[in-house]
Amino acid sequence: MEQFSQQLINALVLGGIYALIAVGYTMVYGIIELINFAHGEIFMLGAYFAFTLVTVFNLPFWLALPISMLLCAGIGMLMDVVAYRPLRNAARLSALITAIGVSIGLQNLARIIWGARQRPFPPESLPTFLRQGIPPTESLPAFSLTETAIALPGGAYLPYRDLFIILLAFVLMIALNRLVSLTKIGKAMRACAQNRVAANLMGINTNRVIVITFAIGSALGAVAGVMVGVREIIEPTMGYYKGVAAFAAAVLGGIGNITGAMLGGLLIGFAEVFGAGYIPYGYGSGYRVAIAYIVMIAVIIIRPSGLFGKSTATRA
Amino acid sequence: MRDKLTPKNIIFFAIVGFFPLLMYAVDYISQLLSYRDIFLPTPSGDYILYIVVQIGLYTLLAVGLNIVCGFTGLLDLGYVGFYLVGGYTAGLLMVRLGFSYWMVLPLAVLNGALWGLLRGAPTLRLTGDYFAIVTFGFAELLFRIVKNEIWLIGDINGFVKNIPHVTLFGIKLNQNWHHYYHILILLALVIFVTYRLQHSRVGRAWVAIREDEQAAASMGINVSRYKSLAFAVSAAIGGLGGAFLAPFWSSISARTFEFWESILILCMVILGGKGSIKGSILGAIILGSLSEVLREILSNFPQFSGARYLIFGIILVLLMRYRPEGLIFKKA
Repeated sequence: MEQFSQQLINALVLGGIYALIAVGYTMVYGIIELINFAHGEIFMLGAYFAFTLVTVFNLPFWLALPISMLLCAGIGMLMDVVAYRPLRNAARLSALITAIGVSIGLQNLARIIWGARQRPFPPESLPTFLRQGIPPTESLPAFSLTETAIALPGGAYLPYRDLFIILLAFVLMIALNRLVSLTKIGKAMRACAQNRVAANLMGINTNRVIVITFAIGSALGAVAGVMVGVREIIEPTMGYYKGVAAFAAAVLGGIGNITGAMLGGLLIGFAEVFGAGYIPYGYGSGYRVAIAYIVMIAVIIIRPSGLFGKSTATRA
Repeated sequence: MRDKLTPKNIIFFAIVGFFPLLMYAVDYISQLLSYRDIFLPTPSGDYILYIVVQIGLYTLLAVGLNIVCGFTGLLDLGYVGFYLVGGYTAGLLMVRLGFSYWMVLPLAVLNGALWGLLRGAPTLRLTGDYFAIVTFGFAELLFRIVKNEIWLIGDINGFVKNIPHVTLFGIKLNQNWHHYYHILILLALVIFVTYRLQHSRVGRAWVAIREDEQAAASMGINVSRYKSLAFAVSAAIGGLGGAFLAPFWSSISARTFEFWESILILCMVILGGKGSIKGSILGAIILGSLSEVLREILSNFPQFSGARYLIFGIILVLLMRYRPEGLIFKKA
């Protein structure tokens, strides 16, 4: 029971992080039908930017997070303008190959700048409640508070850090949902996703909409990156592994569908955590990353439109 | 390949045929010179030969990948999976069961083809991005399997060590010039087969499928059959490459077959020009040598070990931007 609730928390956190990344994939795909392979790298850069701001420039964490979001949004926009925009009318696969090129380029650039070593966020740079606490030795009564965690009934602990990540992901998702469904730019984005040419004819500056889409997706990816950096570790390949899992989440939810991506992220998070925790003989942990691949392949082959997507004959 | 015996061709084939001799001559001369206290700043001929074998292997893989990527026009991001299958089939059978290389070679090719068909069957309907993503996931799964299944591989991280050398009539083929002629023969075979396929009914069917699948189907081409054939042949060539690699390196590990290796091979095919055998060869030679030169230069700067792939990334982006058809463009 204790293990179960701990896993449940892990799954929720991981799911929230995947949802934040998956939204970036799905929004871009919805509008320009491009699998932005380099989105995982944006996520990785987000973590590294915040790390550098905190350690080198000695900024407080609360400032580093939004600055990292802004920087990532800038890189996302730059990526669109420099790499993808010239190929907008070229063959679809050219754009995908470009995205792979950008992805390799950014990942190895990060390796050159920050080195291949795994780094954690230095704990002293984080606000107290985001630090990893030592679980208390004697069991506390339910709902009593320690320095870093809340004791839950059943003996599990909910770290404030995890609670913060879950809440932040939730708030950002709601905000994005409101943005897309209520604001003018959201309307323009939906119009572009339906039919880009027609949207252009109606006077929507599609290039601007696409750039803004990249910026929003990248900023959300950066948040996810910082959260993974705080909770786990920062390394140049993190974008690759987490990126693929998040892409699997986007596919699972029906690519192009924002709500689907959020739910897909949660599902992949649950599948990964409970798969790794409960599949016997250590198979689960070794194949932790593979669970997302398996889900992704299965969804593409069996139901390419995803769980929540409209079923189109071939979305290719 | 109806080449005439022009002087140019004769010189070309003489160089290719006697390349090891040339390299050993370079070694010999530089040794003679060093007796007279003159040192040539060249790497040794034997080392160059080794690199040429490596490039030959990449050429083999590029020609194989070109069948799916170039002829049928499907983006394969997981080609390294078949390379892996071939490598582990050969490595494990040779180390664990003591099979000879000459028995293992056809088995690795067949196993590669089998996996090609296995992957191909569910992906026949897919095109474009989705096909690419499934191939990518497939190769990653194979990578995970060799990394985790210790009972199968016998060591952690997919290490297979002490793979015996190839023996032919009791002679151990462990010199670099042995490897050179070995890969040259395999390469010639593969290029011959691909060339003949390209210019046959099968090759025309592949191109028809690439240009328009529905039109091809309505012309009476059995799309599934020809696609499956392309997957199988391409995968078989990947398996062949792996089977060569195992005794050549004498140890393989999961890291040999990472995703970036697929991208490197893909980069070669695209650089040369998709759908052209000559292009694949050219691309493999250019990028293969560039890769080795960069590795050599960058080994002095451990900080910049990632720069090799950074450059490949930039090449991919620039190619797609300015010359998406590659260096040698062949339409048909």
